Amino acid sequence: MNTDPTVFIVDDDDEVRAAIGLLMESVGLEVRTYDSAQAFLDDFDPERPGCLVLDVRMRGMSGIELQTHLATAPIHPPIVIITGHGDVPMAVRAVQAGAVDFLEKPFNDQALLDAVHRAFSVDARRRGIAMRRAEVKQRLERLTPREREILEQIVAGKRNKVIAADLHISQSTVEAHRAKVMDKLEARSLSELMRLMLSDQATAEEPQENPQTPG
Amino acid sequence: MLCVALLAMLASSTRLLAASGPGFAEPEAPRQIEIGVLSHRGNRLTQQQWGATADYLTQALPRHCFRIMPLAFNEVEDAVASGRVQFLLVNPGMYVDLEVRHRISRIATIRNGSGDQARNRFGGVIFTRADRDDIAELADLRGKRLLAVDPHSLGGFLMQLDVLQRQGIRVPRSVAALDFAGIHDAVVLAVRDGLADVGLVRTDILERMAMQGLIEHSDFRVLAPRGVPNFPLLLSTPLYPEWPFSTLQSTSNALAQQVAIALLRMPTDAPAALAGGYAGWTVPLDYQPVHQLLQALHRPPYDHPDAFTLIDALQRYWPGVVLSLLALLLLLILTGRLQTLNARLNRAKSRLEQRQELILNSVAEGIYGVDLSGRTTFVNKAAERMTGWDQHQLIGCNQHQVLHHQHRGDAFPRAGEDCPVYATFRDQQARFVEDDLFWRRDGSCFPVEYSTTPIRDEHGKTVGSVVVFRDTTERRDAAARIQRLQTEQARVARLSTLGEMASGIAHELNQPLTAISTNARASIRLIENGRGTLECCSQVMTKIADQAERAGEIIRHIRRFVRKEEPETSPVAVADLFDTILVLLHQEARQHAVEIQCEISPKVDKVLVQRTQIEQVILNLARNAIEAMAETPGPHQLKLLAQPRALESNTEPRARTIIRVADSGPGIADSIQGRLFEPFTTTKARGLGLGLSISAGIVETHGGKLVLSATESGACFEFCLPSL
Repeated sequence: MNTDPTVFIVDDDDEVRAAIGLLMESVGLEVRTYDSAQAFLDDFDPERPGCLVLDVRMRGMSGIELQTHLATAPIHPPIVIITGHGDVPMAVRAVQAGAVDFLEKPFNDQALLDAVHRAFSVDARRRGIAMRRAEVKQRLERLTPREREILEQIVAGKRNKVIAADLHISQSTVEAHRAKVMDKLEARSLSELMRLMLSDQATAEEPQENPQTPG
Repeated sequence: MLCVALLAMLASSTRLLAASGPGFAEPEAPRQIEIGVLSHRGNRLTQQQWGATADYLTQALPRHCFRIMPLAFNEVEDAVASGRVQFLLVNPGMYVDLEVRHRISRIATIRNGSGDQARNRFGGVIFTRADRDDIAELADLRGKRLLAVDPHSLGGFLMQLDVLQRQGIRVPRSVAALDFAGIHDAVVLAVRDGLADVGLVRTDILERMAMQGLIEHSDFRVLAPRGVPNFPLLLSTPLYPEWPFSTLQSTSNALAQQVAIALLRMPTDAPAALAGGYAGWTVPLDYQPVHQLLQALHRPPYDHPDAFTLIDALQRYWPGVVLSLLALLLLLILTGRLQTLNARLNRAKSRLEQRQELILNSVAEGIYGVDLSGRTTFVNKAAERMTGWDQHQLIGCNQHQVLHHQHRGDAFPRAGEDCPVYATFRDQQARFVEDDLFWRRDGSCFPVEYSTTPIRDEHGKTVGSVVVFRDTTERRDAAARIQRLQTEQARVARLSTLGEMASGIAHELNQPLTAISTNARASIRLIENGRGTLECCSQVMTKIADQAERAGEIIRHIRRFVRKEEPETSPVAVADLFDTILVLLHQEARQHAVEIQCEISPKVDKVLVQRTQIEQVILNLARNAIEAMAETPGPHQLKLLAQPRALESNTEPRARTIIRVADSGPGIADSIQGRLFEPFTTTKARGLGLGLSISAGIVETHGGKLVLSATESGACFEFCLPSL
């Protein structure tokens, strides 16, 4: 799997598409160009990191439609919208749909490159979080139901004596389960365990970075 | 014929009566012959004097019985005219008259007197009583009472009248009285008895009366006595031939000849001559002197016949006169009526003329008439006003030379034969001339349209033509103004269209600009990074230049589209027209996912058009189509088609090209199809509805018509353009 982020360029204007591609290549970025939204979808691989530079107005599926479509996928490259007619309603719609940037043609090359890099870092963070959450999930799956029950009590901040009383088991049994949970989740201390569990919960409501609005 | 038969009957009956008398009966009834004799001395004396002569003739001509018929002066003509007499013995004056008027002819002249004193001429005597000392000469007759025998008596009036007139005495004006006694003897006796101052009788009367002892010769004195050799009687006048014995025209020549011979054979001392107091007969004399006398006196037959007086006419022709008068009256009434009618007619006519003149002069159009020789016959006030000519100057003038001798754009004056006004009365066809020039008196001219119509008289014969013309200056100006306004309106519409398209056009420009700037920046970075090869950079530069040209092309299209168009048409390739549309609509079509297809038949030539305006029409139609199609889900197609149109007839001046703009949209609702090209008809929420009406106007100025044609799906607008 190629880990270098790729710039995916979707624009039905050949010249513009080629020019943007050249610009990306000039700074050493990996580039893939598509002349329509459908062509991009056909080639879409969610695992591949990068960002999507998307023209809003195109024959066939428009940029916004593609964006809406991609939003249903678990992970997809962050989108930088470029448009010939920058109007506020469209910018709002694009941002609401999750675009990281909104650039008006003709754009400043540095602004586009900055937007692309910003999208890369968003993509990288998203992909990192997703990876960690997947690992925690994998460790949790090792626990038995009794161990998962004990873990919930520990995360809830209860002492061993309280847990033993609640579960009508001996304190020593609780301690044995606890050691196994710690072992299976690869947590060396209670605080590490707590952090693991908290990060798993937080991935769902991770705050988005403020996208740059045009202007 | 009837008269002759009657006479024969009368004669035979008389003969029968006579036969019983004397006793010399003859085996055959003698024929009764009447001799009319002027009874100037009374009937009794006449019978006495001439009865023997009749007997002599009866003896001389067996089987004939001659009788004397005494005739008074006034009875003679009637007897002759009615044929009651066969022979006539009258004085020379009456003879001459009857000779002329009744064709009687003399067969013998009497020898008057007896023995040595026999004579065949006679004259007239003017006498008075010997004791009348106051009457010495003819001049003394003035104021005296004259007594003559008869107005027709030759010796007893006419001869003396001639003498008196030659003396300058007008009778009866110069005398106190002029009376007629009827017979000679009465005249003599009346003068003797002092009943008259002067008497007029023929010669021989005084002598005879004296001889008979009726008067004393010495009691009388003859005035203006004349002595004529061998004429011993008293005489005051020239001599004239004696009485002629004449035959009527109806009397047979044989009888006349026998009578003439008998008379000429009569011896001087025959009993008949003695009884008649004459000395036989001679061959008829020349009666020319009598003719001259009567001519001088204007007596019959040389009279100017008595005026046929009104009384006479009335007496004779009163039914006719009454009828004539009635007719005349009727005529007068009719004439009066006719005159009244005529007057009314005249009034009506003058009213009509006034009205005609009023109409003629109150219309705004100039009107004038032309006769067959091309001269103006009448002119109305409007024509005077427009041309500056006075009607008196125009009437009678050759209108062609004065008014429209030169046509618009003609370098040379036109010949009169080509003049439509003359052609009108030559071929008797009314004409309408839309574009011509009339010339004013001051030498300027003005555009006119005029109609010229032949004038026909009551027989349908063409006598000229009438021209009705109108100054079209204002209309022309107005038309030009409207044209300018339309052009301006079209331009404003174009600007407005471009305004609506601004964002699309901006995008269209943004594409190359974006490509240019991005390419430029990229190549800079490549160079800075040291990765920019020369080959790579020159490729990028080429792209940049291409894109710059692409942008320039778009801007050129836009600039041409908004500038004020030149009014002239020029040849344009249909592909160029479509190209503009493709450029300007590229973004809008892209946005609404509309594919634009151009199909130009290879047979299509260039079209002769005002380019910008036609591009505006196509653009307008195409944009309407895109907007309509955007309402329904795609994909959509917009077709721009150009095909040559076959000539429908030989009269069409040139080939034409059909331009079609067809879409696959929802079509046009039936409810607005009828007023599609009217202004302010729109289906768009924000449209003014002017686009199609302006487009229709533009197509119309190119001689075509913008129509909506039927298609299976969507709408299709088409119009024709003149091909080159």
